[in-house]
Order: sequence, then C-alpha cells, then structure tokens
Amino acid sequence: MSGQFFWYGQPGFVVAAALSKILVFVVLFALGLASLLTWLERRQSAMMQDRLGPNRANLGRWRAWGILHFVADALKMMFKEDFIPPKANRFLFALAPILALAPPLIVLAIIPFGAPLCWGQMQETVPLGTCVRPVDLQIARLDVGVLFYFAFASLSIYGATLAGWASYNKWALMGGMRAASQMISYEVTMGMTVLAMFISYGTLEPGAMVAQQGPAPWQWGIVRGVPHFIAFFLFLTAAMVETKRTPFDVPEGESEIVGYFVEYSGLRFGMFYLGEFLEVVGSSALMVTIFLGGWQIWGASLLPNWAHVLVSMLVWGAKVFLFCVLQLLVRWTLPRFRADQLMRLGWQRLLPVSIANVVLAACWQMWIH
Amino acid sequence: MATVVKIVNRPAGWKRRSYLWGTMQGLGVTFGHLMRNWPRNLLGRRAQSDIVTLAYPEEKRPYPPRNRGLHRLMKRADGQVRCVACMMCPTACPAHCISIVPEESEDPRIEKRPRVFQIDELRCVVCGLCVEACPCDAIRMDTGIHAPPSTRRADAILDKEELLSRGELSVAVQAGEGLFWRERK
Amino acid sequence: MAGDRQAPPGPRANVKMVIDGQPHEFPAGLTILEACQRVGIVVPFFCWHPGLSAPAVCRQCLVEIKGFPKPIPSCYTPVADKMEISTNSPKVLDVRRQMLEFTLLNHPIDCPICDKAGECMLQKHYFDWDARFARNDGSKVRKAKVVDLGRHIVLDQERCILCTRCIRVCNEVARQADLVMAFRGDRQLLTVAPGRRLDNPYSLNTVDVCPVGALTAKDFRFSMRAWELWATPSVCPGCATGCNIEIHSARDVIRRLIPRPNPAVNKYWMCDEGRLTYRRVHQDRLVAPMVAGAPASWDAALGEAARLLASARDKSPSTLGVVLSTQMTNEDLFAFTRLAAEHLRTERVYLAGAPEGWCDDILVSADKNPNTTGAKLIGGLTLRTATDLKQDLETGVLTALLLVGEADAVGSLGSLQSLVVLTSHQGAPVAAAQVALPLAMWAEVDGSFTNRQGKVQRLHAAITPAGQARPGWAIAARLGQALGAAWRYANAKQVFSEACEKIMLMSGADWGKPEIPVQLRFANSRG
Ligand code: SF4
Ligand code: SF4
Ligand code: SF4
Ligand code: SF4
Ligand code: FES
Repeated sequence: MSGQFFWYGQPGFVVAAALSKILVFVVLFALGLASLLTWLERRQSAMMQDRLGPNRANLGRWRAWGILHFVADALKMMFKEDFIPPKANRFLFALAPILALAPPLIVLAIIPFGAPLCWGQMQETVPLGTCVRPVDLQIARLDVGVLFYFAFASLSIYGATLAGWASYNKWALMGGMRAASQMISYEVTMGMTVLAMFISYGTLEPGAMVAQQGPAPWQWGIVRGVPHFIAFFLFLTAAMVETKRTPFDVPEGESEIVGYFVEYSGLRFGMFYLGEFLEVVGSSALMVTIFLGGWQIWGASLLPNWAHVLVSMLVWGAKVFLFCVLQLLVRWTLPRFRADQLMRLGWQRLLPVSIANVVLAACWQMWIH
Repeated sequence: MATVVKIVNRPAGWKRRSYLWGTMQGLGVTFGHLMRNWPRNLLGRRAQSDIVTLAYPEEKRPYPPRNRGLHRLMKRADGQVRCVACMMCPTACPAHCISIVPEESEDPRIEKRPRVFQIDELRCVVCGLCVEACPCDAIRMDTGIHAPPSTRRADAILDKEELLSRGELSVAVQAGEGLFWRERK
Repeated sequence: MAGDRQAPPGPRANVKMVIDGQPHEFPAGLTILEACQRVGIVVPFFCWHPGLSAPAVCRQCLVEIKGFPKPIPSCYTPVADKMEISTNSPKVLDVRRQMLEFTLLNHPIDCPICDKAGECMLQKHYFDWDARFARNDGSKVRKAKVVDLGRHIVLDQERCILCTRCIRVCNEVARQADLVMAFRGDRQLLTVAPGRRLDNPYSLNTVDVCPVGALTAKDFRFSMRAWELWATPSVCPGCATGCNIEIHSARDVIRRLIPRPNPAVNKYWMCDEGRLTYRRVHQDRLVAPMVAGAPASWDAALGEAARLLASARDKSPSTLGVVLSTQMTNEDLFAFTRLAAEHLRTERVYLAGAPEGWCDDILVSADKNPNTTGAKLIGGLTLRTATDLKQDLETGVLTALLLVGEADAVGSLGSLQSLVVLTSHQGAPVAAAQVALPLAMWAEVDGSFTNRQGKVQRLHAAITPAGQARPGWAIAARLGQALGAAWRYANAKQVFSEACEKIMLMSGADWGKPEIPVQLRFANSRG
C-alpha cells in the first residue's frame, strides 16, 4: 500500500506532484521573477532614459550589474519600522496587504507552464496527446479555468480598497476608491475579450487552449483571426489597467495622492509592491497562455520527453519575461491618465469595442465553419 | 492682469485620437534607447552607450578650468607676497571673510604689504569676487583644491603663510613693463 | 587769517549773469567758481580751496566766457555784469579732459597702495569727466616715492599734481614758508624749503588739503582705506578753542580726526596736537569698576561709593569735597553739580583740569581744557579752584573726596579717608581710590562742550565706550539714586535740556539734529 501510494495516479503522487509544481512554478519562478522585476524595472527605466540605474548592490566582488538590489530592498523592508497610524483599523490594516498579495499568487494555479511530462516515458519522444500517463505542468486543471483567474484577480480589489479604508487617511481612501472603480470597470472589458477567445477555443481551460494552439507562431491564438488580434490588444490594455501601473496608476498617483498604501511601510508596503509585480507576471502568463501559444514551441516535440518539457518551460518562461519587459516599457513610455479619462476609455471606448469584438468573433467562427 | 486661457483642442480624426500610432512611436523611442544602452552596458562598454551618468566616487568629472578652489596668494620674483594690502578684496567680499592688517614694508619698491592676511574658508561663499577685485593678481582661486574639512573652526581660517605656501610667481605685468618695473630704466 | 579773503571794499552791487543758459544774480566780488557752486553747478577744480588764496595753477576749472577767445580759470575770475558762461559746452568738456590727461601724464596711479584712494579728487574727476584709457604708453617721469618731510608727514613726489595747496596752507594758515616748488616742467616737484622741515603746528592740514595722495600722515598711513571709515561730527577736546572735527573710526577704533569746516570757529583747519588727541581714547583706559583695587560689578561699586560718600556727608559735609574737571561735558558737569548740591550737600566743589600750555593767535589756546567756559557757567561763582584744592588737601580740611574726570595733578591724596574716583584712565587717583568707576570719554558719548567763545558745540558718540565705561551723567544719576534721589535721566539730551533751563547763559543753546555716523564709502572726495 505504502509503495503504491506514490504510484502514478495515486493520491501521494498527485500531492507530491502538486507540491513540486507549486515549488518550481510559484515559489521559484513567479516570486523570483516578480522580485527580479522590482530591480529590472528601475534598471530598465534607467537604460531608457540614458541613466545608469541601481548598479551597486553586490556580494563582495560579485556585482552582476546590481541584480542583488532586490535582496537589499527586501532586507531593507524587513528592518524598516512597521508603522500603523494610531486611528487605523488595525485588523483590516494588517489584512489588506495579504489580500493584495495572495490573489496574484493563487491565480497562477491555472497556468500551464510546460509540456506535459510523460511519466515513465521520459527518455522517448512522445508526440503530443499520445502520452499514456501524462503529468500536466499546471497546478490545477480546472474547467472554469480563466473564470477562476478572474474570480481571484478581482479579490485583489479588496486589498487596495481595504488598505485605503483602514489607513484612516483621506488620500489613501481616495486611492482605494479609485482602485475599486478602475479594476471593476476593466474587468468587464477583460471578460468580453476572453469571451471572444472562448468562442474560438470552445473551452475555458488554459491547458486545452494551449493544446489547441500549435507550436508554430502562425498557429497561436493571436493570429487565429481578426477578432482575436483585436482581442489581444484589448486584453493587453485591460490587463495593464488591472495591475494599476502607469499609465493607469490612478489609484496610486504618486504626484497627487500617493495612493491607497500611503500609510504603509516596511514589509507591509513590500507586500503591496511585490503583489503589483506578481500581477504583472500573472497577467503576462495569462496572455502568453491565451494568445501566444503558451509553452508551445516549434520543433521541441521531436526531442525526448524530458528535453521537450525542459525546453517548453524555458520557452514559456522567456515569453512571459518578454511580456513583462513589454509592460515595463509601456510603463516608462506613457504618462498617467486622468481618472475621468480612464473611466471614459474603459466604458466608452474599450467596452463597446470589446462587445463588438465578441459579435465579430462569433461571425468569424460561423464563417470559418 | 487678464488671465489668458489657451485652449488646446483634441486632435481631429480617429487615427490620431486613438493615440495608437503615438503610443507606438513612444514605445519606439524608449525601446530604441533601451537597445542602444542596455547591451552595451551589460558588456561593459558604457562609453559607447548614451548613458551620461557618472558612477561618482569611482568616476569624477574633471573640473572646468575656471573652477574656484582654495585661495592662494601669489609671489613676486623674489618670493615676497604680491599683495599690497589694498583692501579691495575685503571690500568686495560679500561674506566679509577676509581680514587684512597692512604694514609698511622696508622695501622701498613695495611700500605697503599685509602683515596679517586671513581668509575664513567657512564663511567664504566661493564667489571669486576677491580675485576679480584684486588689481595685482595677488589672490587667486585656481588651485582646484576644495577647502579641507576640519574639526575646529580655527583650522578653517587660512593665514598668510598657508595661503602663500600654494603661491607661485605671477606672470602678470605692471605698466606693461613686467615685474619690478620701477627698476627698469 | 591770510587765507580768509574778503570781498573788495565798496558798494556791493549785484551782478546779473547767465550760466549755462540760465539767468542768475550774484553779489559782486564772487569768483565764477563760487557762483557756480552757489547754484549747484559742478565745476571740477584742484588748486582752489575755499580757505586759501587762488593761484589758478591747475587749470582744471576752465570755463568758457562768451566773447573770450580762450577758456578762463573760473576760480580766479570774478563775476561781472552780463557775463555769459558755459560750463558744459563741448569745448569746456574737452579742455577738462585734456587737463586731466595732462595731470595724469606722469601720475603713477598707485591707487591700490595710495591712502587717498576712495576720497581722491583726481580719481573722482577722472571718473566724472574723463574715464578713458590712457593714450600715453611711454615711460612716466619717476620721482621719489617716500620723502620724509617732517614730524608727521611723508611725501610721495610722483603723486603730487603740483597744485600748491600745501604750500599755501603753510604760508597762509601756519604762516611759515616750509614748502616750496623746485625745478620746472615735468621735473617740477614739491620739497621743503632749504634748511627747513615741515614741522609747523598745522602741518597735518596739508594732508587734508592735498587733493591727491601725495602727502600722507605718518599717524594714519597705510592703516585704513578711506571707505572703511565712518565719520561722526564732534569737537576737538585738545583746547578751549573747540575746533569742529569729524571722528573717523572703524570697528570701534578711532583712526583719525579731520577738521570740519566752521567759519566761526576753526575755518577749515585744526592743529596737529589736537589731531592726535584721539590716541588717548585707546590708551590706558580704566575698563571696569574697581573696589579696593579689584574689579567689581557696577552695582557693587556704586553701592560702595554711595556708602562712602553718604557716611562722609553724614559725618560732616564740610569735609567732603567734589572735584569736577574742565574736560567733562556740560551734561556731566551739570549732573555732578546737582549731585554735589542736592545729595552730598557740600559747598566744596572744586574745578580742576589740565595745566595751561602754549598758544598762538591762529587756533591754539593756552587753556588745554575743552570745556572751561561750560564748567564755569554751570558751576557758578562758588566753584573753588585747583589751587584751593591743593591747599585744602595739604591742610587736611578734606577727609573725603569724589574726584570726577581726568585730574592727575590735584595734589597728594594720601591724607584722605575715603576717595571715590570717576575717571577714564588708569593712574595715581585710581590706585589711591577705594572705589574707581570707569568714565566714557568725549568720543564715546553724546554731549556738548562750550568753547572759549561761549559756543555750545555738540559731541556725538563715534564709538562704544571702552569696556564697561559709562557716560558721567549716567553715573551721576545712578549715584544720586543710590543716595536717595529720585532723578532719572534717559539720555544726555534730557540732561542738556535741563541744564539749558536752569543755567541762564546756556538758555540759547541748541541740542541740534541727531547725527548718525556716515560711512565714507558713500561720501564724496575730501580735500
Ligand atoms: S571667494 Fe568671495 S566670499 Fe570667498 S573670500 Fe573671495 S570674495 Fe570673499
Ligand atoms: S585685492 Fe589683491 S592686493 Fe589688494 S589686498 Fe586683496 S589680495 Fe592684496
Ligand atoms: S593720488 Fe589719487 S589717483 Fe593718484 S594714486 Fe592716489 S588715489 Fe590714485
Ligand atoms: S603735495 Fe598735494 S597739495 Fe601739495 S602741491 Fe602736491 S598735490 Fe598739491
Ligand atoms: S582750480 Fe582753478 S586753476 Fe586750479
């Protein structure tokens, strides 16, 4: 019994596999990349602006362009005073950063981050879909898939809003309100866009979506048709609004209200900060999954299974990374919208376009078949 | 005063109003810079990139030739102080940081010279007006040296010996006839 | 005085004339230069001086007179009816420049080391009327730079512009022909007359009148630049003449005294001795109250003084004496006279002072005290003399004494039981006194002296009193309070007004406007 407990398909195996996936994907990859992005963002912006950026942190002679700044930042935040305003609601004040950090971590569960591992056939070349005992590189294979993503991503609204409310600071409250209105507005657009893709894929399960897209770039979701191409840009925009980063950093608005986390310091602020970058990673991962073929890469399926898995993970990582860099690029290129402009963009421009796009996608689908 | 309101209308046409092309252009610009700077910087060839930042303590920008450093008093051909204690510099000094006590010199070619010449570098605002004011090229600020930090105020008051220790022979001429022009004939 | 020119005798008709297109009317006998000055037209000059004769040697004052072919020196030419004068025609401006260029031809221009710089007429005229670069780049004629002319004066022959003002000061004010011109043309130079030195008692006036920095005072030479000084109007304390002066000081140190024109007293001059009286302000001063030879606080010293005086008074007022000095200001004298009469209740008020000295019929009086007249007016007829004091001290009539002012030669103080001294300087009385209080000097106080003519003349405080010294009237008031009086004086003006009310012969005196020190940086050239 005990031996069989860990066999393929047995509960022990499932748990062990899930834990290792969480370890590799969430802890190592997502958190690692998000932390790295905190440094990369500053360094990259410096490069765009002909500056040098943070390049000092080092371990003795090992400097590596200052990559260790994220470690230094984390240490700094840990040792900073954790200040709570006297009139703040202490419970909600403490809860808010957790609510801001947890959802971006949870939503990662549905993202497939590599080709399925073929248990017992790892030395052989296994064509896709013919594997007998596959282990999907995806923490949770849910039929609701993308909807799960939305459900949890919306939870992070609570983080921002509660932070603003609990701080007992009118600027923070204003920031929280703005965050709520902004995120709710754009979720509609996001849903509509995904609807267009859903019409095309016929499924909401990300693993299935990836499988439907071929390894070649012209087989990817983004080039399935005109509505899908439009959907990509709509989704990109809406996703960036969801991360609340420039040009959509209205809730934060450093030069005017500083935002919902104005009263936060130390590690609690660090959680907001990291959560923001996790959202970047998460939205990038979702976009890669839906539009850019996920982990698919041409020719990799000819390799032995273990190599195929490895290469697909690397390719997936590279795609996500490039998306992150793209988001940073946008953030340092465009100036901030005004709150009313942002609402107008959401409700009067993007939403009608995305609804029309759903109709278009439906017509397209009918025309194809 | 009438307030003038300048009205900037939104650009016409959906192409411009969607700002898609403008956004693309902007991304192009930032991406261009990124691509010019990043690879070069990663490869340690910063000199060829556009980056203008200096990594300060290791790299320093050379001072311009007219930088105003610590004061010094210039010397005559025989090593005596050039200053004739004319009091132009304390008069011009906006910080009142120069104190001079003149005396009569035994040397008949010189007549007047400073017995005490002190500059309080703590008060000095490094304006260079003393140098401008000096009719004798006796005081200069061309050493390129910063006022050294000191833990006692008294150490920041430079006296005549200290100021002369950095002094050199001045090449300035008087009456178009060079040093000790009075002796030529 | 010889330099004191009178208008020609005869009926003083007015002349009507035109200057720069404007009609004017002047009394006959005026020179054109004086006429221009009266109506505020600036004509530059070097050799003319209001207190001296006019030789018209510098030619800087040239003006154009209609009908005259050549420009005319205005300092020498009297005004006449129907004259039409131009002081600013292109021709006049041109000759002005040419004369300046000529004057500067061999001038060394060592303004940086020249004591006159900042108050030099040549500098001023150059900036006002020429301000061009030199056109002459040849060698200049060299002359001696440091010539010792006499006790007080050093001459730089190169800087001399040969205006002869100094010669005329010697001839006409001091009436001694000490200085002469030698040689001709560009070799001409000023020098002492054969066998003589510039040692007359008015020699320092030559430094004042010298329009440039050729004559410098050894006393002042190189110590200060003119623009660092602050000028305060005052009166010379050297003798009973009371020459009007300006105190030139910087940072609470007096650097020199300069005569202030007053036609009724000293004209434009003062004597050398008087000029050096300022030195005593900075020498051997008593800077703190002393009780039994040790420094004490004002309160302690005043209390002790009052105790000594009160006990002497209460024992027998007739053995208590008060000595006042003719060096003191009217205010101090008045306050102490009042103290003696009302609170010490003594008749024995003596008047001491510096001994008599040399005199002449020019300015110097034999009485070397600046306020003898004032002291006599205020003290009245009951004042006893220094001789009485000596006698009383010797005979032992006095057992207690309040000695005020600088009075060194009062006689032996050994026989006294108590001695309270108010003085400005260290010396025998301070050493002998139980209580010594520091007194501010003439340059440190507001006040007045009455000169030998009976003119009440104002002193203004030029510097802050040395150490803890205080004006005499203020000390008198404090002493009076300690002795039970209710007086209170806020400033010297109050004392003065009270004195003018009480002293009949001072009733016409006027305290005058308040004068604040002026920095010479903002003043015009002197000379
Ligand atoms: S640099 Fe300016 S402040 Fe400093 S000594 Fe010279 S004049 Fe004075
Ligand atoms: S200006 Fe020049 S010559 Fe005159 S006192 Fe100053 S340093 Fe000396
Ligand atoms: S006399 Fe006047 S012009 Fe001549 S050196 Fe002296 S200050 Fe300068
Ligand atoms: S020394 Fe002065 S006053 Fe005398 S002649 Fe020369 S310039 Fe005139
Ligand atoms: S002032 Fe008239 S000639 Fe000198």
